[in-house]
Amino acid sequence: MKGMMGKILRVDLSNRRISTIDTSDYEGWVGGHGMGSAIFWDLAKEKRINGFDERNVLTLMASPLNGTPVPSASRLEMQGVGLQSFPTEWFTRSNIGGRIGAMLKFAGWDGIVLEGKSDSPVWIDIRDEKVRIRDAHDIWGLDTWETQSTIWKDVSGKTDFTRDWAEVNDEHWSTQRPAVLTIGPAGENLCRNACIIHEKGHAFGQGGFGAVWGDKKLKAISVIGTRSVTVADPDGLMKAWEWARKRYSKWPPDPDARFYNQFAPSVPAFQFWPTKKQGRRKACFGCFSGCHAVFADGKGTEGKCYPTIMYLFQDLKKHGRVTDATYEAVNLMNREGFNAWELGRGMGYVKSLFDQGELGPGKNIECDLPFGEYGGTRFVEEYLEMVIERRGIGDDLAEGMPRAAKRWGRLEQDQKTGLLPCPFWGYPEHYDPRVQVEWGYGTIMGDRDMNEHEINWLFWIGNPTDWIPSGGRKEPVISAEEVANILAEKMVPYQGDPRMLDYSEENIYSERFAKTIAWHRHFTRFWRQSVLLCDFRWGPINTYAPGNKGELAEAEEPFFSAVTGKKVTIEEGVELGRKIWNLDNAIWTLQGRHRDQVDFAEYIYREPFNSPQTNYMPGRENGKWKYLDMTGRRLDKKKFEEWKTRFYQLEGWDPKTGWPTRKILESVQLTHVADELEKQGKLGAAPS
Amino acid sequence: MAGSSVSAKSVIFQEHTALAIPAAEGYLLVDPKKCQGCLSCMMACSLVHHGSVNLSLARIQVTHDHLADFPGDAVISMCRQCIEPLCLKACPEGALHVDSAHGNVRTVDAENCIGCGECIKACPYPIARSVWNHESGLAEKCDLCAEAPFWKETGGPAGKKACIEICPVHAIAFTANVPMQEGDSGYLVNLRGKAWEQFGLTTD
Repeated sequence: MKGMMGKILRVDLSNRRISTIDTSDYEGWVGGHGMGSAIFWDLAKEKRINGFDERNVLTLMASPLNGTPVPSASRLEMQGVGLQSFPTEWFTRSNIGGRIGAMLKFAGWDGIVLEGKSDSPVWIDIRDEKVRIRDAHDIWGLDTWETQSTIWKDVSGKTDFTRDWAEVNDEHWSTQRPAVLTIGPAGENLCRNACIIHEKGHAFGQGGFGAVWGDKKLKAISVIGTRSVTVADPDGLMKAWEWARKRYSKWPPDPDARFYNQFAPSVPAFQFWPTKKQGRRKACFGCFSGCHAVFADGKGTEGKCYPTIMYLFQDLKKHGRVTDATYEAVNLMNREGFNAWELGRGMGYVKSLFDQGELGPGKNIECDLPFGEYGGTRFVEEYLEMVIERRGIGDDLAEGMPRAAKRWGRLEQDQKTGLLPCPFWGYPEHYDPRVQVEWGYGTIMGDRDMNEHEINWLFWIGNPTDWIPSGGRKEPVISAEEVANILAEKMVPYQGDPRMLDYSEENIYSERFAKTIAWHRHFTRFWRQSVLLCDFRWGPINTYAPGNKGELAEAEEPFFSAVTGKKVTIEEGVELGRKIWNLDNAIWTLQGRHRDQVDFAEYIYREPFNSPQTNYMPGRENGKWKYLDMTGRRLDKKKFEEWKTRFYQLEGWDPKTGWPTRKILESVQLTHVADELEKQGKLGAAPS
Repeated sequence: MAGSSVSAKSVIFQEHTALAIPAAEGYLLVDPKKCQGCLSCMMACSLVHHGSVNLSLARIQVTHDHLADFPGDAVISMCRQCIEPLCLKACPEGALHVDSAHGNVRTVDAENCIGCGECIKACPYPIARSVWNHESGLAEKCDLCAEAPFWKETGGPAGKKACIEICPVHAIAFTANVPMQEGDSGYLVNLRGKAWEQFGLTTD
């Protein structure tokens, strides 16, 4: 397939051996997640392992579109057994932007497979086809930014990048700095909440892979390449770009449309300054939108989205205004290689326990953090230091929030009240399942905070506001009925039923809502996580486009065929996504999964949702579409169990266990997977 | 926008009676403070000229220091189509020449290029604007897309330029007037304007 480089790098860290896998062996999976799941299936012979097991195989997979000017084909997908989910360490995924996916392709590789564990710190130095496993003692202990600048000097010598080309390999030159992935002290100290950083603020954030790298003694991977990515139809690709720009974009963009018209250059996501900043917008490779930013004062540089609001409310509360503390927290976190959700929610949890008198000097949970400084830089610094160095309760928190709660004997009670804000698989709340039901369902039927925004845009359209930091909801520009209709039309093969986006209490346990979740799982497994388009940029609604119809499930086809020379319809891609989703569930099944484990934290069922911010989702009330206020919502546990049954039946899985059946696996050409499940006594029973 | 109002058609560089080099009829202007570092321009450049994407074959080079602060973190190095093209003068084979059929762009005739690299050394502007193609062993340079065989558009000064067409933020512009040759102010210009204010970022 055009766009692919033909080989995957295979690194055996235990034996320090480098070899290759032919991409053609896995070409049917196209790239990214599909390839990663298939490779994990083949190479991780024992699936019932935890993240620290030497047999844990990690894959970092690119797609045919990386390294081409397809808008926002800028992602790289990592998979393996992660350390974050609780109580089971699921086979999971993480995803990153920046330059690394493209640069891996330019170096001649479609992906990297990591096996085994090194007995001492190493880093992997990739320069085109020349790959070396190198000693990392000199960079072990450095923060993520220091590590990258050290590696740049090593790889590119004394190159002054404002003046010179650097020789990469044998008369092959580049003006670009190596693209580096690295862990920081958090990963080195095996914190489950450690992440892997690229540049200043791109991250494989969730999944718990930072500590897997730390345990494998892998400090960093550096990639620099000078090769060519082939494109089947260059003129077609340029024409597709022009077409997409005219249809979905506008210059200058409408300032108020930034939360949904994602194909246009955007305001850096969630940066709030009282005055104009000296800075630039910064984009991932080939991205239209550019949601990051770089500043003259370096504060919050490359931070975006949740990291830049993680500490904002605390800062506001303490100081009465947004100060540098909000942005210094971003830099600290990125340097240490620590996940934003675990940091923000973790500090919040610890503060709540302090406020209740449960935690502090001389309390049930001994802790001497300076809570008077909560909202200021000193608190974040000391919290991070305490956790990463595993001092006192830092050792508990380094195991992640739910495991810390368990060690303190508070897991059950805090999950009941929601004091521990971890509703699904021990992951901190990103969106609340009581409001963003599709987010909750998609996460709990999977392996981790799903972090997929396709349907989430309906929340942003329903809640247009400057709610950070001032508050107040404006009137949505598009009606609930219209957004439901637009997205429903796109949800092939289940298209045409707008009630699939009806968040009324009557509907969220229905079979049609099971179709919503099934569609979402299948669609993203292929069209986002395998093809590696950024989910944040390819949305369902776009007010610049005819009929307000966004680029999602519409514009992917011409770009994919221009690069690869293969025509894949949206529906065909969704069908391949279904195959990938089935393979993932087979892996989880072999890991010991059963439907009884698929359950939210108790507060999701017990506690009515309440928040100072507005939370509206589209739905029907008395036969009419409107944006429903989700305040007061809880999920009904009994109805959720019934919904699970409907979901399993829809997917062709055994509703008693949640395990895939032979019939469904054979229908997606996974007979060998069915055979293995049967051998291990884990095949779902056929419906009687 | 900074620059001169001198039309290219009225300018001929004449070093001596035997050598008269007409000015190019088009120039790329860039705003490094506007650049978002997506490298779409580099990808488009190599794609339309070579049919594949290769950053090392792009005739516009954008280099970001991803660990540095604004504004020194971004450098855009594009061919200036110099009035006095030192690259042309350095070429021993006449391969690097003025293409009079395409608005006098300074371009490399691949058939005559011997790959000596003198044009690359001669370019006074780092990063050298003449680019080494390690696959062919020849030099290449920006021709304002006059010869872009993989793009079914008319290029050249009078036509479309792939980098300008693709830049999502319009950080690359075109002028037919000769920019001031001394220093950078003729070529590194402020393209942000009023539209940029909505991003909350400097328009200076």
